[in-house]
Amino acid sequence: MIQFDQVTKRYPGSDEALKNVSFSIEAGEWVFITGHSGAGKSTLLKLTAAIERPTSGTVLIANQNISKLKASAIPFMRRRFGVVFQDHKLLYDRNCFENVILPLRINGVSGTEAAKRVRAALDKVGLLHKEKAMPITLSGGEQQRLAIARAVVSRPSILIADEPTGNLDASYAADIMGIFQAFNQVGVTVIMATHDALGLSASQNRVLHLSHGQLSKTESTL
Amino acid sequence: MQALKLVLMRMRDNVLSTFMICLVVGVAMSLPGLFYVGVDNLSKLSNHMQDETEISLYLKLDVSQETISTLDVALAKNIEIKQHHFVSKDEAWLRFQEKSATNNEINKVILQINKNPLPDAYFIQAKSSNPEALESLKNSLQKLPGVEQALLNSEWAKRLSILLGLGEKIIFFIAALLAFTLLIIIGNTVRMQILTQKDEIEVSNLMGATSSFIRTPFLYAGILYGLMGGLLAIAIMSGIMQTFNYSIAQVSSLYNSDFSIPLFNPKLFTVIIGAATTIGWLGSYIAVNRSIQSFKIN
Repeated sequence: MIQFDQVTKRYPGSDEALKNVSFSIEAGEWVFITGHSGAGKSTLLKLTAAIERPTSGTVLIANQNISKLKASAIPFMRRRFGVVFQDHKLLYDRNCFENVILPLRINGVSGTEAAKRVRAALDKVGLLHKEKAMPITLSGGEQQRLAIARAVVSRPSILIADEPTGNLDASYAADIMGIFQAFNQVGVTVIMATHDALGLSASQNRVLHLSHGQLSKTESTL
Repeated sequence: MQALKLVLMRMRDNVLSTFMICLVVGVAMSLPGLFYVGVDNLSKLSNHMQDETEISLYLKLDVSQETISTLDVALAKNIEIKQHHFVSKDEAWLRFQEKSATNNEINKVILQINKNPLPDAYFIQAKSSNPEALESLKNSLQKLPGVEQALLNSEWAKRLSILLGLGEKIIFFIAALLAFTLLIIIGNTVRMQILTQKDEIEVSNLMGATSSFIRTPFLYAGILYGLMGGLLAIAIMSGIMQTFNYSIAQVSSLYNSDFSIPLFNPKLFTVIIGAATTIGWLGSYIAVNRSIQSFKIN
């Protein structure tokens, strides 16, 4: 489903964020990306979600080469993914409901169908009673769950999460992992960057470990 | 449709600033509009007056009675002539003496001459008031047999028409400058909106929004600013023209005329709304194109 072949990403004015990275992820898999801060986890996720293009090498998503995709085709590629950003990227000028409905608007879903799906997504993350609340009034864990609701509302086949449990305490983190597990169980591919041990010890999933932009080991604990 | 709803909602949330933008557009559009109405009505009025422009046809002193009658027939046949009347040399001489009866100097000269120096003459009113048409009619009359000189009494009409032409040019440049200003104002307003919605644009872009999804609301906003500004311009113009009409009605009643500025001018109103809307669209289009560039994939 997702295939990296000798992928290198270099940002202008800095060293290579990723060097010769090759791996592939199958549909329905759950993959952790680990590594120290600055190892290139976020870059790898951005390349996966067609948010950035590789400097060299090829990124194939559903057999389509991201580098060769026309600019007008990129948005449609991005719609395959639900992304939970490291900094949430919630919109603080509108309530939870309006935040979650945004991807549906982008996908052209509107009216009662959209409202139904927004409430279903909010329900899945346990925020149904907060649909009218402004995101700023939510706790860190609730904001994280709101970001997850927004990522899943358009029913993407791939979920990408960048350190979703980063600065949450253990019980909140376990909560969040549980939500992702539920999605994975119904066939959604989950790709998650993390540096905390909790997620790793609790699960038996594949781990891609990055060190200074290079894949140091690809291990499958299955 | 969804984008339009979104734009209207945003405008409702910022009623005052939306109204201000529309007012700027309205005032800027009503200025050249009012100038145009002024010049247009002046030129109508001047056309009305030019109807009374005359061509004076002075005949040769030794012209015979037969030549005069053939001339009369020729003038009656000429389709460009509305009306003509003959003033004989004796009649003219008599009138001249009457007019100058009080002027001693001229009386002295008249006594010295002691003989009628004036020619027979025709005074002709043309159908057209166009200066060029009058000129060519004058030239053709000049060639008729028995005619000494044809004189066109339209120098002032020419001058007025040149002045009105100048007025039209001034309107054109004022309109062009104001259009340019509006373009910048609307463009800047839309650019500010894009900046305040930078987060939403960025997130939408990451979630796979097409560029038209991101652009359309801003383009609609620009078009709506233009449209509402154009409507305001028409309201402003109508109000001003209405107050002018009161005074004009008073003046025209003194001259036994029922001249007034027509309040409803569908052609002008369409042009104003069309121009305002186009400027709104173009301004937002330029702003959107410049600002959205920075959100492209790298």
